[in-house]
Amino acid sequence: MSTPLLSVRDLSVEIDTSRGLLKAIRGVSLDVNAGDSLGIVGESGSGKSITLKAIMGLLPKNARVTSGEIHVDGVDLATLSEKARRTLLSEKIGIVFQDAIAALNPVMRVGAQIAETPHRRLGWTKEKSHARAVELMELVGIPEAEKRFALYPHQLSGGLRQRVAIAIALSGSPQLIFCDEPTTALDVTIQAQVLRLLMELRVKERTGLVFVTHDLAVVNEICDEIRVMYAGRFVESGGVANTFQRPSHPYTYSLLKSAPDVDHQSERLFSISGETADLTKPVMGCPFAPRCFAATQLCSESEPALLPISSSYSACHHAANFTEKIPVGHFAQGSQGKARS
Amino acid sequence: MSEIVLSATNLSKHFVGKQSLIGKLRGKEPLSVPAVDGVDLSMPAGSTIGLVGESGCGKSTLGRTLVGLYPSSGGSLSLFDRQIGNDRSLEERRAVQMIFQDPYSSLNPRMKVGDMLEEILLFHKLADKESVQKRCIELMELVGLPITALQAYPRQFSGGQRQRIGIARALALEPKILIADEAVSALDVSVQASIVNLLLDLKRDLGLTMLFISHNIAIVRQVSDRIAVMYLGRIVEEGLTSEVFNNPQHPYTKLLLGSVPKMTPGSKLGAAPQGELPTIQARYEGCRFQSRCPIATSACATTDPALIQIGSKDHQAACINL
Repeated sequence: MSTPLLSVRDLSVEIDTSRGLLKAIRGVSLDVNAGDSLGIVGESGSGKSITLKAIMGLLPKNARVTSGEIHVDGVDLATLSEKARRTLLSEKIGIVFQDAIAALNPVMRVGAQIAETPHRRLGWTKEKSHARAVELMELVGIPEAEKRFALYPHQLSGGLRQRVAIAIALSGSPQLIFCDEPTTALDVTIQAQVLRLLMELRVKERTGLVFVTHDLAVVNEICDEIRVMYAGRFVESGGVANTFQRPSHPYTYSLLKSAPDVDHQSERLFSISGETADLTKPVMGCPFAPRCFAATQLCSESEPALLPISSSYSACHHAANFTEKIPVGHFAQGSQGKARS
Repeated sequence: MSEIVLSATNLSKHFVGKQSLIGKLRGKEPLSVPAVDGVDLSMPAGSTIGLVGESGCGKSTLGRTLVGLYPSSGGSLSLFDRQIGNDRSLEERRAVQMIFQDPYSSLNPRMKVGDMLEEILLFHKLADKESVQKRCIELMELVGLPITALQAYPRQFSGGQRQRIGIARALALEPKILIADEAVSALDVSVQASIVNLLLDLKRDLGLTMLFISHNIAIVRQVSDRIAVMYLGRIVEEGLTSEVFNNPQHPYTKLLLGSVPKMTPGSKLGAAPQGELPTIQARYEGCRFQSRCPIATSACATTDPALIQIGSKDHQAACINL
């Protein structure tokens, strides 16, 4: 087997907050190969975005990596100088953020922002970089690219801005693209256009995709592999089709049940009661146990490791038989009376 | 057919821009944006109507005009068969209440939840000094919050709990109609489900009628009996939820539904629609959707389509090519 494009082993990140030290990521490992499409899902605060930022070296000042190894194309990032590390990352990985207007330079023409990487980093001539920028703008589906080259971000609509951000991510011809909720701020029709574009890149250029989102339906549409994140760890890992049909963690099961599907109308939505774990406190047992319908004494005592079960991996003591404990009438919970959300 | 509690006829809301002195002297018309432009909508008692559309189509403006936060610029509104104007009586205002997307910015940050509810109840004379405490406790129970919440400030709650406070605030006024404007859009999936369930329970138990405004089409399908699809200030399709989803008629509805990512295994996104949502204009020639429409003909450039009945079903759409 060839070396993976990206290999992360046991990555942990801590953040200094006003409430104390927060263990945002606690031992995350993942591999991405060319042409892979990996979706990372979880609720806000589960650590999905921080994982991407930690790999890219874009953590905020109050956060730091406390352990773990990151290999990009077989090279251990820890062995590189700061400058060499940045060069390697910018060559191999492009990143698209949720908020395109914040990611773009407001006083620089969009074409110049796209041409910057080929010109500065790859040392291309101005003319060649310009031509490449126009080509990229056409590739991401910006109509009248030549004309729009000279516009500023505020002169473009949200969908076009997000496409400029994708064009910038592509400008260094990366082998891997990180997408941090790239379509959350977009309307569904524009979202469909952007998702289609990313899928095309994957097929045509064998670009690897890592897609962070809270939208399970988006993962179902464009990813092959899924990682479910809870309280800073992966709690389930497997193929999308298999995981959606037979989740092997109660949290995944609950997430899938609580997501409304446009194709089906059900009487009530499943809801998960309680709140996510407070990661400023030490984790005792399984962090999902207080919200879990299958939790036992064991779950509050020891935190389960991510272990293989049939064709996927699950971090649950009851991975094999939690489905037997799905309570009848669970749907009524969390709606009225004692509910807390 | 059940009674119609709230109905809008040819309702419009135009925002008029500021005008410079020179513009005024030259006799130029000020810039006018028709956010809602001739909407007909009837809400049968006890129903939930889902209002969907892309950002900028005017769905929030329509909601706010129905509540009375914006005065309407044209058309008429009737509440229980009585015409209501832009100056509403206290009773009329109480009858239609709103739940906002971000309850935090709609709650006073320096007022305890209990004090806020008391103020509302006493002002509207829905409780007196003796009974007000009891009513506040009832409201907390209704929305599933502990009684201790009355003594806390809005910032001490999580997003889902704040949304419950927003719902309690609306319910304090004993409304007949709730307008929920993106009420669950800012919440995590698991919390979103519990708030949606709460709204549906309350609607059933208190006999409310609800307009559920959201860009999230999957959620709207879950909660609504009827769906209205809005495009550039107009309703282009309306009908029973099952009818509209299983048998969409307007080309825009088809594009919109085809763009929604699905949970079905092996699902692949439908044909991506062409072009962007155009900005709203003061005047339109013909159909508003023609620039993005796959079946537009030359007649679409001149005829402004009206909502017409589809077959014998409870379903209508505004397209001349049907």
